[in-house]
Amino acid sequence: MDRRTFLTCNAVAAAIPLSGVALTGLADAASAAVRPTPIDFKSNLPATGSFPRKWICGSLSCMDNKDPPVQVHWYDPHTAILRQNKAYSYEAPFAPLYFGNDRVLLLDEGFVQLRNDWDLRGVVDQCIDDWCRRNGRDPASLELLVAFSHLHADHYAAVNQFADRPNTRYMGLTHEEMVGFWGMTNFPEERVTLDLGGRDILIWGSPGHVVSEFAYYDSYTRILYTGDMFYRGRCYISFWQPWFDSMKRLIDFCDTHPVAHVMGCHVEISRDGQDYAYGMTYQPDEAPVEMTVQQLREAFAYAQTITEPGIYFTGTVFLCNQTRGTTTIDKNPYRYS
Amino acid sequence: MAQSSTYDRTLSGNPQSATGRAYPNGNPDLGYNPPGVRNTDSAVPLHRNKPVIHDYACDGPAPGNLAFRWTYGSNVAARNRDPRVQVVQYNEDSFVLRQNVCVHWEAPFTYLLFGNEGALLIDSGATAQPHHYPLRETVDAIIARWGKARGRSRVSLTIALTSGEDAAQNQGLVQFVGRPDTTIVPKPLDVMKRFYGLGSSWPSGTGRIDLGDRVIAVIPTPGTHKDGVSFYDPYCDVLFTGDLLFPGKINIGNDRDFIASLERLKAFAVSWPVKWILGGHIEMMFVPGKYYPRFATYKPYERVLEMVPALIDEAIQYAREVKGKDMMLIRPDFVLFNGVSPDQRTQVWPADVPNINPPRPF
Repeated sequence: MDRRTFLTCNAVAAAIPLSGVALTGLADAASAAVRPTPIDFKSNLPATGSFPRKWICGSLSCMDNKDPPVQVHWYDPHTAILRQNKAYSYEAPFAPLYFGNDRVLLLDEGFVQLRNDWDLRGVVDQCIDDWCRRNGRDPASLELLVAFSHLHADHYAAVNQFADRPNTRYMGLTHEEMVGFWGMTNFPEERVTLDLGGRDILIWGSPGHVVSEFAYYDSYTRILYTGDMFYRGRCYISFWQPWFDSMKRLIDFCDTHPVAHVMGCHVEISRDGQDYAYGMTYQPDEAPVEMTVQQLREAFAYAQTITEPGIYFTGTVFLCNQTRGTTTIDKNPYRYS
Repeated sequence: MAQSSTYDRTLSGNPQSATGRAYPNGNPDLGYNPPGVRNTDSAVPLHRNKPVIHDYACDGPAPGNLAFRWTYGSNVAARNRDPRVQVVQYNEDSFVLRQNVCVHWEAPFTYLLFGNEGALLIDSGATAQPHHYPLRETVDAIIARWGKARGRSRVSLTIALTSGEDAAQNQGLVQFVGRPDTTIVPKPLDVMKRFYGLGSSWPSGTGRIDLGDRVIAVIPTPGTHKDGVSFYDPYCDVLFTGDLLFPGKINIGNDRDFIASLERLKAFAVSWPVKWILGGHIEMMFVPGKYYPRFATYKPYERVLEMVPALIDEAIQYAREVKGKDMMLIRPDFVLFNGVSPDQRTQVWPADVPNINPPRPF
């Protein structure tokens, strides 16, 4: 099976030739017997779901934090959103987990490597078990795809926790392997469709924060996941023109597709627009992770006026245009004259 | 082969050994009975009916050292199980306390000094909540143990801050409110000046805190904070400089004051011997010029705390370079930030400092 087939063909259909000959009727009959009715991911769209009123967001003293390493929030019965605990890493990225009839897609992880430090793998397995129990499935029948929005360690650090997990594929840590994982030959313009089994995820390139970044659109919840190139905080723009072009691509997509929420990987800003400085481990009044298409459009409109490197506030996000190696927003509070 | 008691590194211990000490097995050339022996009271009698009067007079610095590595947090701060307050006895009458970096990223140092008539706590940590940071409880326990050993049932305590406004050093103060036999140096600048008797001579004068045969000098050192002071202990010959001079990112509040205060320290160090400068934090790594970012809770490659007095000269030299300019400047043992964000970065690497990248923590 080549890459294109992998992307477009239903994983269960592909599995039949493998089990058909060697395994006798027993296994086939068993799987046929328990094979539940497929979930319909194409009607009554968008699926209604909700974000938490407030995410777990760290604590005054890190070592006294008793929250779980990963907060699991079920946006709807077929979509979980994971978030790393701020006391486990200040990066505390968000990580959607999309369920289809045949595949599960995990996007992003968190900024801790080892399973003994935080058991992301165990949390994902538990989510899959829970979903399967609710929907009468066998967890072993689902393929897990572990992918990430872009090539930064806070999004892939835990990837090797999945090395010994059966029926699992994960992205490599080079641009080539990432683009190849989605079968793209014309990054970033090419838009591919990943079939999770009745649930389509649209994926295209979104460089600018880094070269190797994707945008992910879930056709079921209509969440547009914009990674680190656009999120509720400091959008570190390493390459202006590619970022601007990627923003244009997002806007064009919103012009032609219904989008319920725009969602980034982090939150680094309070509800009233205060910056939570880089590295903070406690964000008691943080803004929601989800944004509206209107906020994306406003940011793009603002970006059209930017001609110089610098830090700009669009009302929703900070656009840190090529400032990463030099300066930040925060000031020394003890200055006096 | 001739037998000799003179130190020979090939025969008596390699200074490249794991401890890193110059004389890992001692140096017989220094003699077995140096004068500092008399500055210890470990052999107090079993039954004491009156307090031990300690001899705080000494030739050169009183014996003592920082013999242990500081705790340095953990990769996952929530799973850290190190003590919330790390206590290191410098000598019988001097203690260094450090806040766990996984309780607060500033991980400030707090110093507890004893004299024949009382104790002095310099700074109070970055966290007010005693269940997160039991500074009061720890200090009380050290004072109780010290008092028992010295035959004193009451030990008065003075608490002074290197800066009243510094939220990384004044938060623990509330734990001591209402403590008996305790004097807290007032935080407001004017009241603090009067407390030290510096009402009319700030910042050129020098105040004093008499602990009983151990008189701590109070040197006004505004510059990183407008109410900054440094303390000098003539017993251990140590300068406690708080945020003014420490191995880390020094955020200058006012560059004229900063240079003037460093010059004041330099003049002070001419007339008084200084063995070490101990600041309020560590942010530098053990490779020159590299430092941890703000909010880091895992600092496995931290530099040692102690600074040599020659660093005052270096700080003055480079403070003059940044004076009047909004810039940061990297030196091997500290980084100066003047008029810029505490997270400012620079592409400029000093030509005379080797550029070594420490390994990533994971």
